[in-house]
Amino acid sequence: MSQIRIVNTTLFFLPLLFIQETLVNRIGFPWHSFSIYLSALLVLLAFEDRTGALVFGFIGGLIMDLTPGSATPFGQWALVMTLVGYLFALNRESIGDFTERPLALVSFISISAAISMLTFLFIGLLLGQENGGISHNLSVIAANSIWSFFITPVFLPLIIRFRRYSLSNRDLI
Amino acid sequence: MAKGGSNRSRLLLVLLLVSSLFLITVDLRGVNIATGLRNAAQTTLSPVEGFFSKVFSPVGNFFGDIRNLGSTRNKISNLTDEVEKLKAEAALNEDIAGQVNQLKGVLDLAGRGNFQVVAARVINRGANTTFKQTITIDAGSTSGIARNMTVISDAGLIGVIKSVTPSSSIVLLMNDPTFKIGVRIAGTQSIGVVSGQGGDSYLLQLLDSAGEIKEGDILIARGSEGNRPFVPGVPVGVVSEVQSNASSITQNADVTAIADLNRVGVVAVVISAPTEAPRTPLFPKPQPVITVLVTPTPTPSPTPTR
Repeated sequence: MSQIRIVNTTLFFLPLLFIQETLVNRIGFPWHSFSIYLSALLVLLAFEDRTGALVFGFIGGLIMDLTPGSATPFGQWALVMTLVGYLFALNRESIGDFTERPLALVSFISISAAISMLTFLFIGLLLGQENGGISHNLSVIAANSIWSFFITPVFLPLIIRFRRYSLSNRDLI
Repeated sequence: MAKGGSNRSRLLLVLLLVSSLFLITVDLRGVNIATGLRNAAQTTLSPVEGFFSKVFSPVGNFFGDIRNLGSTRNKISNLTDEVEKLKAEAALNEDIAGQVNQLKGVLDLAGRGNFQVVAARVINRGANTTFKQTITIDAGSTSGIARNMTVISDAGLIGVIKSVTPSSSIVLLMNDPTFKIGVRIAGTQSIGVVSGQGGDSYLLQLLDSAGEIKEGDILIARGSEGNRPFVPGVPVGVVSEVQSNASSITQNADVTAIADLNRVGVVAVVISAPTEAPRTPLFPKPQPVITVLVTPTPTPSPTPTR
């Protein structure tokens, strides 16, 4: 993986966080809220090879740790997204080529978002954080998954197009 | 070849996991890497958040408005009636008018408590991935705001300032699971602790086992030492249901917040407050009492003539 690709993708994550914080958080969803950043990151990870999934999982998580309202230790999301990236990489062959099956991809992303958030909560629990009642947290996670399922198709082509654009000739071979 | 690639991936995985754990450990040890970075991110975002807050507020309320519209038939018929009135007020900017109303209420509450406040607009809400209930306001340290200051709305307590940048601040809302506040019941003066549950309901744990709680009891902030993080006398909530559990050591009750955290647009940060609790209760809002004074005018009696 080229260094320029890592830089480009990192620079792509920053406006995503910006959109999440300035626009998406402002929308009063009827049931909790939605993380466009998490969904976009998971879409990107789903298409990556082993190294890409790990590296972008880590970088994407680190940027997620910058969320201003966050009270969790810096690096917690990086840890979670590295683990999720590893899971993606491990099951790369089973996941198959999602570009041919958009519905499967969207379902996969919404389930992965739920797994990521659950892992985040679990690690938080190990670190002694107080994150509220189980039912409330499950409700937040379920809402995020549902919104991911419906909203991800809207920006999915953009992420795929960006990824294609960011690939070098060597990566394309 | 494949084995070599696999080993490299594993090495990378271990490296990244160790890096993440290192960052977490350093952060938990008190080396604030995150605070500076997050504050920088917040400083960058706050002007844009302020801009989008003006532009985007009608879209942001879209889902909520739809939900409320379909909630009851009565509401729809009432709304239909109000359309005519609203047409007449169309020239006014409703958003600004609403904010002015909230601001008036906030200042009214602050005035009754002799609080010195800084008014601020809510410009953003916290992301769900943080699992924290927060809002961002458009006033920061340049306006005199510091950490652990009480934030109130026109109705009562909203939360506490969690972090501050020069131009914005993050408020930890009172429904956050980590939020706890000492309260006293307005009538019986029993003291207890109200804690957030993440949703719209709150839990009151009465510290006095012999104390009494009943539905409708009003809870008022007891205040903290040096008025930080809580100033005394601010209305917190109303007891909605008393939990009857004979085995429980403390008496518990469900509480509804006085302030509607979902509809808050303007808040006030209490910068300083009297050291003693206000003598007059801040809740309920005193209703104007019409007093009619009748002074009997003596009818002129005829002067006796001799």
